[in-house]
Amino acid sequence: MADSSQPSAPKPSSSVKLVLLGEAAVGKSSLVLRFVNNDFQPNKEPTIGAAFLTQKCQLPTRTIKFEIWDTAGQERFASLAPMYYRNAQSALVVYDVTKASSLVKAKHWVAELQRQASPGIVIALVGNKLDLCEDDAEGGDEGEGEGQGEEAGEEAGEGKGEGDDGKVRKVSAKDAKSYADDEHLLFFETSAKTGHNVNDVFTAIANKIPEASLKGPRGGATAGGGTQAAISAGQDSSRVNLNARQGAEGGPKEGCAC
Amino acid sequence: MFLSNLVQKAQQLIDPSTLPGPLANLTSNPTGRPSKAQLFRQQFRLPDSQNPLHEITAELTLPTSPQSAKNAAGQTRNWDKSNWDAAPRERGTHYVGQLHLSEGFLCFSTVNTSFVGNASAAASSAFTGRTHGTGPAGNGFTLPLCAVRRVERLHTQSYMFALSISTWNGYDSAGGSGGGGQEDASGKVKAPTPPKLTVQLEGSRQQCERFCDGLKKGLRQGIREVEGMRQVTSDCYSEYFLRYDFEDLPKPPSSSDGRPAGDGEGTEGEKGPSDTGLGSIFKYPGNSRKLRDRSKMRLWHEYLRENGRNCTLVRQPDFHRLIRVGLPNLLRGEMWELTSGSFYLRLQQPKLYQQILAKHAGEGSLAIEEIEKDLNRSLPEYAGFQSEEGIGRLRRVLTAYSWLNADVGYCQAMNIVVAALLIYLSEPQAFYLLSILCDRLLPGYYSQTMYGTLLDQRVFESLVEKTMPILWDHLVRNDVQLSVVSLPWFLSLYINSMPLIFAFRVLDVFFLEGPKVLFQIGLAILRINGEALLDATDDGSFISVLKSYFARLGASAHPRSENPKHRAITHFQALMVVAFKEFEGITQHTISEQRAKHKGPVLENIESFAKRTSIRNLGPEAKKLSPTDLAFLYDRFYAVLYARQQRQQVLQAAELEARRRQRQDVKAGSGAAEGVTPEMGRVAMGAGEKTAMDYDAFREFLAGVARWAVTDSPSSPVKEEGRAGGKGGGNGYFNAFPGRAGGTGRRMSVWGSGPEPAEHDFLQRLFARWDCEGTGEVSLQNVVYGLAPIKGGRDIMASIAYFFELYDDDKDGRVDREGILRMSEALLFLSRRGVESGAGAAASGPVVGADGEIKSRDELFLGAVSAFIRRCFEYADPDSGEREREGQVEEGVDLLDLNDEDEKAGAEQVDEPDHPLATPPPSTSNAKDDGMLARPSHHTFGQTSTAPKHAAANAALDPSSPVHITLPTFRMLVLADETLESFFDSGFANSFHLADAPLPSSTITSPSFLGLAPPAAHPPISASPTQAASPALSPGDAGGPHIPAISPGGAGAGVVGPGRGLRGMLDNIVTDGMRVAAEVRRRMDDAQKELDRSASVRGTEDDEEGEDGDETVGDLLDGADADAGGAGKPGLSEGRVGGPPLSPPPADGGKGGTEKSTMFER
Repeated sequence: MADSSQPSAPKPSSSVKLVLLGEAAVGKSSLVLRFVNNDFQPNKEPTIGAAFLTQKCQLPTRTIKFEIWDTAGQERFASLAPMYYRNAQSALVVYDVTKASSLVKAKHWVAELQRQASPGIVIALVGNKLDLCEDDAEGGDEGEGEGQGEEAGEEAGEGKGEGDDGKVRKVSAKDAKSYADDEHLLFFETSAKTGHNVNDVFTAIANKIPEASLKGPRGGATAGGGTQAAISAGQDSSRVNLNARQGAEGGPKEGCAC
Repeated sequence: MFLSNLVQKAQQLIDPSTLPGPLANLTSNPTGRPSKAQLFRQQFRLPDSQNPLHEITAELTLPTSPQSAKNAAGQTRNWDKSNWDAAPRERGTHYVGQLHLSEGFLCFSTVNTSFVGNASAAASSAFTGRTHGTGPAGNGFTLPLCAVRRVERLHTQSYMFALSISTWNGYDSAGGSGGGGQEDASGKVKAPTPPKLTVQLEGSRQQCERFCDGLKKGLRQGIREVEGMRQVTSDCYSEYFLRYDFEDLPKPPSSSDGRPAGDGEGTEGEKGPSDTGLGSIFKYPGNSRKLRDRSKMRLWHEYLRENGRNCTLVRQPDFHRLIRVGLPNLLRGEMWELTSGSFYLRLQQPKLYQQILAKHAGEGSLAIEEIEKDLNRSLPEYAGFQSEEGIGRLRRVLTAYSWLNADVGYCQAMNIVVAALLIYLSEPQAFYLLSILCDRLLPGYYSQTMYGTLLDQRVFESLVEKTMPILWDHLVRNDVQLSVVSLPWFLSLYINSMPLIFAFRVLDVFFLEGPKVLFQIGLAILRINGEALLDATDDGSFISVLKSYFARLGASAHPRSENPKHRAITHFQALMVVAFKEFEGITQHTISEQRAKHKGPVLENIESFAKRTSIRNLGPEAKKLSPTDLAFLYDRFYAVLYARQQRQQVLQAAELEARRRQRQDVKAGSGAAEGVTPEMGRVAMGAGEKTAMDYDAFREFLAGVARWAVTDSPSSPVKEEGRAGGKGGGNGYFNAFPGRAGGTGRRMSVWGSGPEPAEHDFLQRLFARWDCEGTGEVSLQNVVYGLAPIKGGRDIMASIAYFFELYDDDKDGRVDREGILRMSEALLFLSRRGVESGAGAAASGPVVGADGEIKSRDELFLGAVSAFIRRCFEYADPDSGEREREGQVEEGVDLLDLNDEDEKAGAEQVDEPDHPLATPPPSTSNAKDDGMLARPSHHTFGQTSTAPKHAAANAALDPSSPVHITLPTFRMLVLADETLESFFDSGFANSFHLADAPLPSSTITSPSFLGLAPPAAHPPISASPTQAASPALSPGDAGGPHIPAISPGGAGAGVVGPGRGLRGMLDNIVTDGMRVAAEVRRRMDDAQKELDRSASVRGTEDDEEGEDGDETVGDLLDGADADAGGAGKPGLSEGRVGGPPLSPPPADGGKGGTEKSTMFER
């Protein structure tokens, strides 16, 4: 395994740690499920703590193996997040296009990542549940029903909350895009239910991961799991969760406000 | 009789064990260790209202022997009553242990523990040691006193003191009156024998009698609750279960007709089985044949028959064994209730669940929104949760709990746990069990910050490190985060990690033995998979090893073994063995110790995270303040909230306790208030609701930030509370303990150790302004947004406008006469401890002994203000015809603006007297003065020059001609006076001391109460040593000569107190400024001296106060106790009971020892 990236493999392969963040029930787990298993479950149990999955992404010149950390979205789990985004090279910050507040939360996450996560982390802003509002405004009302709006059911709440207003989309693509541009984020609108744009997000991230960083902390000469030992040395002290943050902090922004 | 009462009282007075719980807590427990009362409650799983009142060593004798259950009953009656001594002692099972009495419970445990007040901490935590599978409560019983039917004192020839206790067990409510247990004709099948518990007390005669007296008192109280108990127990499956012989049990007990809860009354015989959860409708998980459910049921039938059921159950070793092998489906819920203690909670407040739901019907909350999101995703594969029935139950239980404990509200993972509970429990049962889980078994797990979860993860890691060092090294080397896998184990009690049937087996033991079980199982999982895990080098493979292990838990652990018995051992069984044998040494004590060890760092981490997040999310306006200022505000804000909460908790606890003692009634509650832990209110503890300051907190906050917000005349606490209590509609902290607060309030200052804040109209206005949502509270964001324009902009025009708007009540751009006066008051109020005019003030250091000059500088302000008032009325517009005036005003402003530079120079001049090198340039300002306003020179300020103006001002005060000033007028008037200008230019902003120049007193406030470090330390003063202003102004140095003299306005409360004769006062100022100034100065000096003195002796004083307070409370409580004792006199309760007269207390006649006496009977 340790030598897999050496001459034997035609394409260099490296693993990239990716973390998903975002408000509860915006569809983080569903996005991952779609990407990893090409599957969709209407009633997905909420993630407790975090879930871990992996999936490869083939690029023309190399293979990226995503190690995906799918985190719990509820506000109070936020304090756990640092232990998951520590050392992450990329992040998917997800919001729900039918719920304005979820974008606010997403912005918080972006700010948090920019300050606390590894420098140079590639962040993609993703508006999910596009299927609920794509074609026509009626989609939302269906979202309330049992049959059609599974995704709304799955991620409950908003289908009900928003359906009444007629217009389902609450976050315009333009607004989100301009915010993403300001912050230099990748931006996509997706539907985990239909699969729309899901792979594109991951591919775009894979493409944007700088070659250099693959050689850096995680990829290195010996790609794959074994490499992680390389970075562990400096971090032995920070075993539990929140300490992780300090590890990350130690780098670029030592003297932050707090 | 009277004498014995007296003796009793005296004993209670001196008996330390009667010290009420929470108080004992506070006094004996500064280290944060659990109090004895807490340990007692934890051991016996009792509600928070229970305290250990009496304890005595005792031997419990159980007459039953398994094989002769039926005929033993008859015999028992023969021997146990009449000839105890003659009876062969070997007949029963004997247990030696401690007998404990609380307000409502009689508990016996073989685990030797002492909860008397003077027992050492070690002794009281002894029970947390190895329990050998019995759980902390050991063998024995936990009897609600209302379940006791009869207590007899047995004949003994020796000095022994023996009681025979019979319970309601087996008495149908219908036939109970006959008292004849199994012979009761009404029962279709013979009711099971009511076992008699024989307890032999071992102690001095006096001890025994005291115990019995306590017991009698409790039993009388218990009478009232008998009916309630019947109701509650009727929801227990065992009541139905034991009505029949096992073989006669109606076959399919799954009458899926969803019996409405609480119909307990009446036709007992016809009643079907109680609600045993969704499982009775939708099938219980697992194959009941494979789980050998029926044979388990048979064993339980036997056990319960002999040892009592629900509240009369006696725990013998078989009980624990039966639980270890897994509970049968139909009894699982009931046993969970009993072993966790949620049953006792339900017993106390049987209607709480329905009441909460009814009370909040139709209301919405954030928690409810979150709950709705997850309803469809809680054990979605279980049929019950694909139906409205199951979803509905889940919704109601989660919602009810979120109302019960709004601090916790709803946390993801609770949905999964409750869903699992609901398979075996009825809705109300699940509700109480959830409450026990959150409050006691998993403290802090589901709180806002989830500190309990994080803490236990840390504890788990340290246990792994200790017990499996090689694996641990491997994890560290490969940078695998253990908590990534283990966190969900703990948070959802293995329910979504293991297959359900196994998770339930874990739960069976968990409820009996407590949280340590989670650790034992977790460690065992790692141990068993140790080798595979050593091969895993990244998180992914680590996770997948465990995933596949969980998937084969049901498979044979030794599939290739020759021995069929070995082959039958599943992985799960092996896991249990490893968990409870190999990790037997992991006890509750271990866990507590580790928690205590890691608590600090974990909480600090959470707090710094919370702080970071919270500051970052403050919004754009916050950017006007520096990050250090924001951090400072954050610290200060939460320090105030925290300190206040602390004080409130303590006062409330004392209050509650006193009240409870007074009435001596058993008050139920999952009482958060009672278990006062020192950390209560810490940010990291998720003190959810408290994220905003009410007005009083706001004052306290300001007092630590601005010197003018500190009162000059500290009031006595009593007086202070009177004021606050009278304030209608205040959601203030005081209203939390109305009424007799004066008594407890004396214990300590309601303001803690910090300076007492002033009360002034200006504060109210500032508060109202900052509270922009009008909620009556200000959040951190409000504070930041309130301060940002003052501190951030440093724009004189903006701060003038800010000040003006504070007084523009109706927002019409004008301030009327009253407002003008109030503004002037405020200016005096703000300046009464000197004005800190930024850079200028820094130069004040060298002026040592330049007393005269300094004085004149302070007089400046008084002069400026009085001039201000005068001019206000000169330039005020009459309410009619304002237009022409306005033109003039505008003109004036323009002129002023042109003169801006001169003004600046003038402003500097204010400070220059302090500056040795500067030459006073009075000409500049005077020239301008002449041009503009003919302002009287400061040097000539005095009676002579102001006397004529006095009249003019008074004319303007004439209420018959309403006047107002507008913002431009105000601006003009301010700018026209260099003192005021300088005040608005920098003085006002500088009077708020943030991180750059913290007010020294704010560090006085922060050392928090109970000797704990504040949640977040304040930046030390030395952090800004270069800021000359700060040391120079420190009140601690007030004696020093270089301190700026106290401002003439500084009479503080004397001059500016609300409700004083406003006009007269102002007249005084105007006409006799010097005299007032002198007076003010004298008073201020006094006040300052007083302040210094109190600052230096504060520590000791507080201590004394504390002690006094304790005494007071102690006295009160003792009084209450005595009262309660009086109320419990036999005469009184006999009337209520209406039963057979109680025998006189044994203490009455000395001969009680030799004859049998019925102590209590129903």
